[in-house]
Amino acid sequence: MKEKSIRKILIANRGEIALRILRTIKELGKGAVVVYEKPDSEAYYIRLADTAILIGEGPRCDYLNIERIIWAARKSGADAVHPGYGFLAENADFSEACEKAGLIFIGPPAGVIRDLGNKVVARRIAAQAGIDTIPGTGDLPRGEDGVAAALKFGLEHGYPLMLKASSGGGGRGIRKVVNEKDLLVQLPMARQETLSAFNDENIYVEKCVEAPRHVEIQILADRHGQIIHLGSRDCSIQRRHQKLLEIAPANLPVDVLEAMYAAAIKAARQAGYINAGTVEFLVDARTNAFWFMEMNTRLQVEHTVTEELTGVDIVREQIRVAEGQVLDIPRERVHLMGKAVQVRVNAEDPKNHFMPEGGKQVEVYQSPGGPGVRLDGVVYQGYRVPTEYDSLMVKMTIRGYNWEQTIQRLKQALNGFLIVGPATTVPFYLAICDEPDFLAERFDTGYLDAHPAVFQYAEQEREVAKLARLIAEIHARKINPFAY
Amino acid sequence: MTRRTQNNDARITPQELRRNGVRQVLEKIRRAGGYYVTNTERDLSQSDFKNRIMPHTQFLVAPQRNDAGFFSIEITGGASVHVDMLRKQMNPLEKLEVLSANMPDTLFQTLCRGVNLFGYRPYPENVIRLTVRSFARYVHVWRVFDFLNHVSNMIPVFEEVRESGAILEPSICFSTGPEHTDAYYVGKVGEILAVTGEDILLCIKNHGGLGTPKRIGALVRAIRERYPDLVIHYHGHNTDGADLGRIVAAVKNGAKIVDASDHAMTGFYGPPPLLTAVDILSDEGYEAAGLNRQAVIDASNILRGEREHYRDFESQFLGFDPTAQIHKLPGGATGSSFEQAVKGGFLHQMPNILQNELPRVHVELGNWWSVTPGSQILWTTAVNNVLKGARYRDANDDLKSLMLGRYGEFPFYRPSDSIYEAVFGKNWKAILEHEGGYQRIEDVDLAVERKVLEHRIGRAATDDELVLYLQHPNDAVDFFKFEAKYGKTWVLSPNIWFRKGGFGLGDKFEIPDAYGRLHAVEIGPKRRTKAGDAVTYLVIDHHPEPILTELEGEGVPAKKKISFTPKEIEALAKTGDVRSQIIGTVSEIPISEGEEVSAGQILIVLEAMKMLNNVIAEINGRVAEILVAPGDRVEVGDPLIVVRTE
Repeated sequence: MKEKSIRKILIANRGEIALRILRTIKELGKGAVVVYEKPDSEAYYIRLADTAILIGEGPRCDYLNIERIIWAARKSGADAVHPGYGFLAENADFSEACEKAGLIFIGPPAGVIRDLGNKVVARRIAAQAGIDTIPGTGDLPRGEDGVAAALKFGLEHGYPLMLKASSGGGGRGIRKVVNEKDLLVQLPMARQETLSAFNDENIYVEKCVEAPRHVEIQILADRHGQIIHLGSRDCSIQRRHQKLLEIAPANLPVDVLEAMYAAAIKAARQAGYINAGTVEFLVDARTNAFWFMEMNTRLQVEHTVTEELTGVDIVREQIRVAEGQVLDIPRERVHLMGKAVQVRVNAEDPKNHFMPEGGKQVEVYQSPGGPGVRLDGVVYQGYRVPTEYDSLMVKMTIRGYNWEQTIQRLKQALNGFLIVGPATTVPFYLAICDEPDFLAERFDTGYLDAHPAVFQYAEQEREVAKLARLIAEIHARKINPFAY
Repeated sequence: MTRRTQNNDARITPQELRRNGVRQVLEKIRRAGGYYVTNTERDLSQSDFKNRIMPHTQFLVAPQRNDAGFFSIEITGGASVHVDMLRKQMNPLEKLEVLSANMPDTLFQTLCRGVNLFGYRPYPENVIRLTVRSFARYVHVWRVFDFLNHVSNMIPVFEEVRESGAILEPSICFSTGPEHTDAYYVGKVGEILAVTGEDILLCIKNHGGLGTPKRIGALVRAIRERYPDLVIHYHGHNTDGADLGRIVAAVKNGAKIVDASDHAMTGFYGPPPLLTAVDILSDEGYEAAGLNRQAVIDASNILRGEREHYRDFESQFLGFDPTAQIHKLPGGATGSSFEQAVKGGFLHQMPNILQNELPRVHVELGNWWSVTPGSQILWTTAVNNVLKGARYRDANDDLKSLMLGRYGEFPFYRPSDSIYEAVFGKNWKAILEHEGGYQRIEDVDLAVERKVLEHRIGRAATDDELVLYLQHPNDAVDFFKFEAKYGKTWVLSPNIWFRKGGFGLGDKFEIPDAYGRLHAVEIGPKRRTKAGDAVTYLVIDHHPEPILTELEGEGVPAKKKISFTPKEIEALAKTGDVRSQIIGTVSEIPISEGEEVSAGQILIVLEAMKMLNNVIAEINGRVAEILVAPGDRVEVGDPLIVVRTE
């Protein structure tokens, strides 16, 4: 295949990932175009782009509007599109539309996205590649036949089971059922839910592995048949199937990891994969047995831990692959020594079901620094937490030589944040940093349920903030009412 | 640097007390050639600065005072425990903890009012014992008194002090008049010794600065003649300007410890200048044991600069007051009396109250000792008599309790029948017979008290917080809430704490917080937000932060203050519109809405100036509305209750 140099890339995304991609584009000396909806017009990252194009009032609908984005690419003269994660990142129609418009889509071909985006198809691909998948059904037939099929599966494999939306992803469209009765109640609800969420009512049943670990392998594939892996990530610490804290590499025996690398590469090859992708596995926390779960055809939020661990700029490789270049990452650059951890500093209140603090103003923002600290964020002093989008303010990725040192650095860095205004997840992460199982690097997807104490952190207001409150009172009232 | 520590071996430290025990320390005092000096900073603050000398100032001068080699420094007790929480917003026990870390070589002294502890009314015995144990962690010398000189009222405190290993200093309160003879006081000392044994210091507590030097000299001599080994600690006030003379007379006649304080802070109602006493006595051949003269001077050099911050709290009547010999008001109550006179608008009546009515009431009620809580009873009664124009009308509960003998027998004579009648009405004899007699306060259930406290502050309480709550429940809860909101503000200098009129734009303060971290706070502009809130910008550690503050100033209608005269309030009460006659705190509401009440019934109990005051129904009717709740502060004229006649 012919190489085609990209000159100008449109970033079809917003927030921290738009900035992340933009930084690499600039580093490569290429042009960067951002698109934005009206509510994002105050975002500072759009000022760093060569061109910023307003694509609509939003919220969200214009970032999902393929036509508008293609229009913006044409208008700006971009010759490639990077979709980031979320929004249109795993939308095969978008990939297709880009190709049709003569734009290079920085990601896998539309067919691959379509195949892997359907979980039933993805499981079949994995099975064809000889990789264990969690026992499960195909798409359930509609009506009573579907119910019967699900009940039969339950009888054969035992409960609990998982009901999953075939088009689901990102933790959405998943329900756990504990017995037959529960299944009969939840099945119609799950179907209804998946129809409204994904516009596709197909669901399937899977055996539920209780409190598994969630481990994924980052892979890179070029158009010349080369597929490499960049090691593993442990994303077990989740709340309601949403990842909170990711670690690279996973704490697993070398032979298990090697087997997972091989499986991931095989799966990618079977799928005809090109560009960066992630193969997700469930790992039995006791036996280390693992099963293919799904493959994500996009850049992941947590790609930073892999980057910090390996020194590879994944976005740069994505662009090079999209240009048709040959992967030329020497083995010695892919070192998997040390540890990297990423935490998502969200404007959310962990004590109140992680309720987003939308609409609040960040009155003070001070960020940490020092060795091994990387920040990818869009927050600044005066930043308003959007009500229209997610509440991620900044991702912090910490790199250390080993687990202990990394956690010490993480604690110190978390303490270096000073965010006044919204509640954040920072004190919650600090509580985790002191929890013995976490310190011993022992966790699975049941971690937060098993450790409710990490939510019991004390609300620590800075002493100087309290003193300042009184000084402000004395100043405003012109007398100290507590002294006279 | 001339006369650096003259006699360092003579100094007594907490380490030594711990090592050798009370008996050996007392023996060392007896054997010492000269005499010792106590710095009564607590009394100085209470008498001359309305109790407002801030912890910041105490910490500032702690190294010099620690070097000074005082026998002890009186730094807690009296009204200070209450005021620490009420007006300084500092935990009184934390104050002692931090101060003792800064003054490790100096004995801390307290003034404890026997059954009344650091308050104004008797406490249950289990509260007394818990409180003494708690404070004894930091306090080495316990001066204990009873305002009627009843030894039995001090016994639980005595026992707990001895148990803790601290030095016990029982007091005989001193006054003047025909009943106050040497024989009487020597007899009192005998009563005390019979209870305590000989290992005590004895305090002659001259809280009013009464008597001449000659009188004090004679009293010391009389006690020494009967009890030659007893170590006498003379405590006086300089209200009439003659306390230096009394100190010299006391030492010449054998007192071993005397009270005075830092010369840069001395005023008119508290202790006299310490160094002056030391220099006079030196010329007389008596040396201050363990004293570092230069350190005393250094301390005052620092304090002189601080004094300007406290100008607002010095007396409204400057100058010495030889008429103290007439009104006998204790120095420690003078400041608060003036404060009350200013707030109540009767400052101009003070000469009349002090020189005519108060001495008259004092004699009528039994010529016992005008010291807390007796001084408040005398003072409140005299003020009432003058302001109401009718004597002994609407007597407060504490006067009634006293006249019913609940605090103990009258030491010399009881008030006349006509006063009993004025206070209790025609039926006074039956009331006296029925309700009279010593009142023992029942123990409280400490677990229940803790639960109530924890409910009020919405979290678990520490043991220290429980102790403070048991002293002054409402003010302690207010303080705990303050601390949760504003932090440990005792780090703030008086320049910030007492600032009036706001700060200047760009004013910058370096503030070390209570945990040792240094901060910089700079005053920025004031603005109004879009929502209409007032916002002050402070640059905190180099980052501007907006802080919401109370609305004030233009545009916002200030709460309109209507002022009523006492006559108007009385007239309104007759229509059922019951309003407060005083500034105080609602202590109790014994009635409820909808209840039938009759004229003369108690509607509300208000606490003011540490006294309970009943608000009485003037008419028969039904309680239509109760507008206040226990713990609320009320001003003169604030509506309390509405009574409707059907």
